[in-house]
Formats: sequence, structure tokens, C-alpha cells
Amino acid sequence: MKLDQASLFDEISKVLSARSHTGITITPETRIGADLEIDSVEIFDIVMELEDLYDISFPIEQASNIDTVRDLVATIRQLANV
Amino acid sequence: MFDSDVKKKDIFSKFDKLVERFQAVTALGKTPFGMVFEDILSPTRALVGGREIILAGTNNYLGLTYSDEVKAAARNAIDEHGTATTGSRLANGTFSEHVLLEEDLKAYFGARSAIVYTTGYQANLAAISALVGRGDHLLIDADSHACIYDGCRLSDAETIRFRHNSPDDLARRLARLPEEGSRLVVVEGLYSMLGDVAPLDEFVAVAREHGALLYVDEAHSVGCYGERGRGIAQAQGVLDQIDFLSGTFSKSFASIGGFCVSRHPEFDYTRFASRAYLFTASGSPSNMAAARAALRQIETGVDLGKILWERAHQLHSGLIAGGFTPASGPGPIIAVPRSDEMTAVREWNQLMDAGIYVNLAVPPATPHAKSLLRLSVSAAHSEEEINQILAAFCSLNG
Repeated sequence: MKLDQASLFDEISKVLSARSHTGITITPETRIGADLEIDSVEIFDIVMELEDLYDISFPIEQASNIDTVRDLVATIRQLANV
Repeated sequence: MFDSDVKKKDIFSKFDKLVERFQAVTALGKTPFGMVFEDILSPTRALVGGREIILAGTNNYLGLTYSDEVKAAARNAIDEHGTATTGSRLANGTFSEHVLLEEDLKAYFGARSAIVYTTGYQANLAAISALVGRGDHLLIDADSHACIYDGCRLSDAETIRFRHNSPDDLARRLARLPEEGSRLVVVEGLYSMLGDVAPLDEFVAVAREHGALLYVDEAHSVGCYGERGRGIAQAQGVLDQIDFLSGTFSKSFASIGGFCVSRHPEFDYTRFASRAYLFTASGSPSNMAAARAALRQIETGVDLGKILWERAHQLHSGLIAGGFTPASGPGPIIAVPRSDEMTAVREWNQLMDAGIYVNLAVPPATPHAKSLLRLSVSAAHSEEEINQILAAFCSLNG
């Protein structure tokens, strides 16, 4: 499993793309709620998926503070301790 | 525009999309959310728009709201103790009815501690938020009710969701946790939207293996499952291994209020640490008395659970025969998934036109963004009423 910044972004973008309701190109600045129209319940499901992908515990309270894809990548890096 | 009007617009603008959606849902003429029943005639009948309809979405599983014994108990409590307690349980709001109900619940479930709350919502909010705190871990089923999510938020513990009804997925997530901190697993017995049942016996085993305590919300299942309505944990033979079991009085118990019982006597300590217990007025004496009377009926009266299940099987098999595919097996909750929200809305209106009230359930209140026509069965439904409900459903496909 690669956990460098670029591959993390690619992997997470892939997960988000599958759930996006707008089909826009994902960049680090993309806002998960506003731009991808992914609602809070869907974000919780994405969190579960990412927990399994990176074998981490990702408390849902932390998901509430995430706005952009960059935030999400940073949170995963922190939780995976890389 | 005055400055205050600008601020008002800002504060309410976040509801714009909700309002738009509500208007689309009500465009067909009726209001599924917040419908007014002009009169309730029985557990299964009401007046809407001056017309008598059959109620098939009330969660009044045993139909005890019109039991002579339950009504008399509520009336007597008002006569003897007044209409309200006007205070918190820890101040002036503990009357003998609250204590007697807690004793009754302990005896009924074989528990060593029982606490009664003002509503079922508050039961989970109060108990969960007091049992765990900062540095602890909550593991909750992904399809948990909003009051479980809210209890988690209020607790300051870290909340991890696991896949619905999957003991294996729970085990994987428990294995990832650090050693430090308490672990509380929260599941429901019967899920309110899809009517599916949890494998509590398997959850007990996983929780034990990973050093976690198990909290089960049986709001919808107490009264309907198990010996004399003791719930799904009892039906699956693990009631004595459930650490905390919560429920409500607003369904089978024909009242309002909630409870949590525990095999741990120390659970009583949470009375001093539960905000939703401390900082609210206690349930009215009549609500407590009605719940006690309902419990007596469930325990020793006519076996209403047996009648409920006969009606549930009749409705479930009739729906299948009519070409519908309920989300789960027969039970007090039978949900019929529809292809999309507007189809569900249109069919809900058609059912109302046919004189049948069911619940319209749409996202985000439903799992997996499903749109549902949700029925709840009552022991008070007659066979003929179930046939009328089925006839109305079959006309949707006609």
C-alpha cells in the first residue's frame, strides 16, 4: 500500500468520484459537500470505505471538520501516521 | 431591507433546499409529514379530512392505547397526582410512579438497574452520552437511529461506524482500536425503517471477544418479540448477556417516555451524569401509570404478541402475493421499497385516497437512500382491515 501524498490523493479521488453527484474533475481544492454534492450520510459511508482501504480507525467526529479533498487526504495521513 | 431582515434571510436560507423538496412532496395535495388526524377513533382508525381511514403506520404494535386498563390507569394518575411533575428527576420530579415503573422494568427484564427517561429519544441520548466520554470508543451500527448518533455526539467519545448487521465488520473495527479507553458497541434489535432484525447473539460474542460492552436499543421490538414481549435479545437467548437495553414507552407501551435497564447495578450512577436526564422535566404521572399498566397487560393479559404476528404474516404474505417485495421478513414493521421518491409520494397519496395511512419514509431518514412505504402492524388490526390495506396496495399495481 502506497501512502505518499500523490498516490493518496489519487486513491481518495477514485473513492470520491464513485460517489460524486456532479462528475466534476476532482482537485485538492474540491469541496466534498458543495462541489461533489456528497451529503453527510454518504461521507460517513466513504469514511468506512477509507478505514478498510487504509486499515485505520476514522472517527466520524473528524469527518465533520473536513471540507475539501485536501483536508481529507491530510486527515488520512494523520490517522495512518505517515 | 432592514439590517435585521438581512440577518433573518441569512439564518433561514440554509432551509431553502428542504423547503423546495417539501413543496415537491406536497404538490399532489396532501402532507405526508405532519398530517393532522382530526380525531383518533381507535388504535387502527382515524378521521382525516372528515373521512375515516385505516391507520397502518402508527407503531402502536399492541394497540394498547385504547385498552380499558391503560386508560383507567392514566386517568387515575391524573386524579391522584395531577397532570405534570414540573421538575427534573433529581429535583422535585421523582414521583412514586417513576420508581414503581423502574422496579417493574427490573423485574420484567431480570435487570439490576433501571432508569426511566422522559422520552425514548432521551433514553439513548442520556445513557450513551453518560456511559462513555473522551478517550473512549463507540462502535455503532451504520443504520442506527438519529438518537444514537446524537447520543454519540454528546458523549465526546470517538465514534466508529460498522456495516449494518455485520458482526464480522464490527470485529474488524474493534481489532483496529487502541488498547486505551472503554469500548461500547451500540446496535438496535429491530431497525425502524426496513424492519430487519439484528443477530444479537453474534454481536454478544464479538463484543465479549474484544472487551467491549454491548448496548441494545429495543425500542421497536420490546412487546413484539420474545417471551411475553421481552424483546429480541430474549428471543435469541442472550438477554442476560446484554449490558444495557434501552426502549421506549411510545410504541407497544401506549404512552410516552423511555428506559434503559442494565445487568450492572452501577448503571444507576449515570443518573448524576446524564444531561438529558438531569436537565429536563420528568414524564407525567399519567404517562408513567399508562406504561406500567401496559407492561402488566403485556406480561399477564391476552397474548397480544401472538395476534400481532398473525396479522404480520397475513400482511407480509399478501404483499408478496400482490407482487411487492418487502425489505425484510414478516414482522411488526413491513417496509415496501419504491423505485424513487416521487413514485413513493404518488403511491402514498393513492393509498390515502383509498383510505389507508402508511408512513412515507425518504432519505436521509432511510438507509441506502431508499424511498419507502412503511407499514406498521398492530394486534388491534382486524383480519378485514389487513385485507383492506392489501386491496389498496394491489390497486397501486393495477
